[in-house]
Amino acid sequence: MGATTKSIEIFPGTLDLLILRALTAGPRHGYGIAQRLRQVSDDIVQVGESSLYPALQRLLLNGWVKAEWGASENNRRARYYTLTAAGRKQLASERAEFGRMIGAIQKVLELA
Amino acid sequence: MRFSLARFCRHLLFFWRRERLERELAEEIEHHRALMRNDREMGNITLAREESRDVWSFLSLENLWHDVRYAARILRRNPGFTALAGLSLALGLGGNAAMFSLVNTLLIRPLPYRQPERLIRITSAYPTAGLVLFQQQSRTMDVASVNPDAEFNLTGEGEAVRITGSVVSANFFSVLGMPPERGRGFESGEDRPGKNAVVVLSDALWKTKFAGDPQVVGRVVVLNGVNREIVGVMPPGFAFPSSRVRLWAPLTVNPSDMESYFGGMYNPLIARLRAGATAAQAQGEVRAITRQLDNAFPFPMPRNWNMDSRVISLQEDIVGDVRRRLLVLLASVGIVLLVACANVASLLLARATSRRKEIAVRASLGAGRFRIVRQLLTESVLLAAAGGAAGMLLASVALRVFRSVLPVDLPGLAQVSIDGRVVMFVAALTIATGLAFGMAPALSTSRIDLAQTIRAGGQRSSRGFWVHFRGWLIAAEVTLTVVLLVAAGLAGRSMRAMADVNPGFNPQRVLTVRISPNPSFCTARTKCIALYDELLQRARGVAGATDVAAANTVPLDGKFPAIPADVEDHPKSADFPAPMLWAGAVTAGYLPLMRIPVLAGRGFTEADGANSEGVVLLTESTARRFWPGENAVGKHIKPVWDDHWRTVVGIVADVHQYGLVNRVPQGIAGAMYMPYTQSVVDDNQFPAAMNLLIRTAGDPARVAQEIRALAVEQNPNVPVGRVETMDSIVSGSISDFRSTMSVLLSFAFTALVLAAIGIYGLVSHSVTQQTYEIGVRMALGATKPGIVGLIVGQSLRFVAGGALAGIGAAFAFTRFLSSLLYGVSSTDPLTFVGVILFLFGIAALASCAPAWRAAQTDPLISLRVD
Repeated sequence: MGATTKSIEIFPGTLDLLILRALTAGPRHGYGIAQRLRQVSDDIVQVGESSLYPALQRLLLNGWVKAEWGASENNRRARYYTLTAAGRKQLASERAEFGRMIGAIQKVLELA
Repeated sequence: MRFSLARFCRHLLFFWRRERLERELAEEIEHHRALMRNDREMGNITLAREESRDVWSFLSLENLWHDVRYAARILRRNPGFTALAGLSLALGLGGNAAMFSLVNTLLIRPLPYRQPERLIRITSAYPTAGLVLFQQQSRTMDVASVNPDAEFNLTGEGEAVRITGSVVSANFFSVLGMPPERGRGFESGEDRPGKNAVVVLSDALWKTKFAGDPQVVGRVVVLNGVNREIVGVMPPGFAFPSSRVRLWAPLTVNPSDMESYFGGMYNPLIARLRAGATAAQAQGEVRAITRQLDNAFPFPMPRNWNMDSRVISLQEDIVGDVRRRLLVLLASVGIVLLVACANVASLLLARATSRRKEIAVRASLGAGRFRIVRQLLTESVLLAAAGGAAGMLLASVALRVFRSVLPVDLPGLAQVSIDGRVVMFVAALTIATGLAFGMAPALSTSRIDLAQTIRAGGQRSSRGFWVHFRGWLIAAEVTLTVVLLVAAGLAGRSMRAMADVNPGFNPQRVLTVRISPNPSFCTARTKCIALYDELLQRARGVAGATDVAAANTVPLDGKFPAIPADVEDHPKSADFPAPMLWAGAVTAGYLPLMRIPVLAGRGFTEADGANSEGVVLLTESTARRFWPGENAVGKHIKPVWDDHWRTVVGIVADVHQYGLVNRVPQGIAGAMYMPYTQSVVDDNQFPAAMNLLIRTAGDPARVAQEIRALAVEQNPNVPVGRVETMDSIVSGSISDFRSTMSVLLSFAFTALVLAAIGIYGLVSHSVTQQTYEIGVRMALGATKPGIVGLIVGQSLRFVAGGALAGIGAAFAFTRFLSSLLYGVSSTDPLTFVGVILFLFGIAALASCAPAWRAAQTDPLISLRVD
């Protein structure tokens, strides 16, 4: 599960979390999600489609996002992903857990 | 990941819609790429698609499906092997399915009555006084009495018929916990005189004789000349105390009639334990109440009378000695399955060796060890499943055969069928079997040295351990086969011994038919005597009849009328109560017709009439028992209720009256014959129902119809039974013995064939493996017989080991068989030696053929092969 260009490897398992977060502001299509992650992270998080689409399928399967076809900015059919209630809950819990873990790692790095 | 049903359903949905998802994904990625082109980026689209696909597929299920298809292909490619293995498994699994359905219904499943675990049987029989005392005194149980077979004439409903019924106490249905389907059971008090003119019908009788009339309850029928009101009809399948019983009538409980109250019929007692009571408490009560009853008798009873009465569960009582027979057969059919398993495992091991190259290629292409083992196990289970499916077809046939092993009137036998539970059992057994015989071959192949196998071609380099393992498998097969062969050998010898039994009479070309007037018809015995006189007169006139006679029972028909007798020189006391004697009531022509020789004195003549001096004949063993070393002719004997002695006028040869195995049942001291005109049977009654016997000159079948028609015509109100040949009665009396023995024989034969195939397979495979070695030996000057001897010797070593173990196992197993055998000990040395020699012969034959083939090979060719 790696990004394709010179970006850094993101923690395994965090991609799902990032995607869910990227959808909190509203529905986006796949490419939009990738772009959003990239912009917000100052080009550090670059998600290739080989990780992105499998991850989206996984989220669909778990019922955390739902997908609907709509028109995109270039006037083509695109699939827009929306966060579901379950997804929102999952995001909150994973985010809290992730925060705890980062905090713990920071602590270890500073003090150990 | 936590399992969630919703997720699973979505997964299914995704899986279902795979194609659509695929299209949509392609479109989505295309869109992504178009946007990316605008931004001049690149990516790996194939990987994206493949990995997405993995998310929505059931990877493990698809692999399994793939394994199954591959396995099916492999099995189809080897039709010979598949058929052989499948057939052995079908035999094993089918037999087990049928046997399981019997064992499940008869031994495991509780009786189909309310709270069956509280139902008990009090062993031994009690007079009516006993029943009443138990009902009054017991605090732990509710006691009912049930007579196993009473006979009733049903007249006025078409042709008069004789029906087997059961005389029961009024609380019988409530104790058993089985209400009738229509109407009601007996009410309390309906077993008192004057109130007991009621009857409950079985479903079968209701349907056959009353055409399933819904208004039947309340109708009055004539049974034994007495009117009874039908108060209920039992549900179909209700078969207690046996499936022969077609109706239930109440007992007559009449304390003022001392003779019938204490003398009369002695009946078995059943009971329901009250809430909170235990069988042990009930057992204590049985002792106490029996002792109390013993003291109440108006006449002396034998010392310790019924002191051995025990409380056993009703199910145990019903199944009785059938349990042992079933368990022996279950064990045997289990052994057949084990042999089949070992056989298929050994065949698979042989094939595994030749499949090593294929497996090695798969392994080198990246298949993990687990994956390969799983693939091979899938093959075995699929093979087992094919065997199991064929086995289920076989099971219904096998069930019919196995059922013949049991007494036909066993309650519950009719309910035995191949039901869902049996199918589940076989499914589980099939999977277990597949895994069992597949494990060793799978493990043997999965651990191979790739490079070496592929390079060498793998034909010559079998691994020592698995070759030996195969040998052990065959040895184990031989062991099990020896056990079954010994059992079958003993069975065969029992059957021979049984066939050699001289029944004491000549059954050939003798016809018999039961004529059964109402007992009331014979209250005036002259009327009955006249009836039979006239019948015999007319039967004598039938063309082809050479002898005619009448008798109250015929040998081996299952009836055994016995009366207590006073014997001259043998005064009665508590320690020597009146002996029970089988009482034959026969016309003068009976002994000559049956070819029963008179050994001393004279037989009966027409002159022995109702008013002449009382005479009896004794059988040889009875005479010896009472007057050893003396001449019994001229001694005296009489039924206990007679005033005058009867004179023994002759001694006749013993007859197997009761069974081919034992002449008299337990508790019977001997046998005597009385002239019909002077006879009394149970309860001091004149025998009304008699058997008409005819010996014919030619084919008895032609005379049969004529005889029956004649009897029916004589008096349409007298039921006439089915005309049977004595031959069929004789063979019918041992039919379940014979079936048991033939089933054992067929098991042993199956196991033997399987073992022979196994040995043949082992030897032919090992000589293929040894082609090179054999070539070398022959090049060095070994002769062909030498080679054959070498190979056969190798295989017989395994057989010898297995046979040795088999003898030990057979000693342990046949002990359980001993009660089923006749005329042969369960450790009969001749059978053991015979079986071993026979087995070695078969083994030598099975290994000779491949050995001989191997010896034919040209050493030059076999050395050049690799």
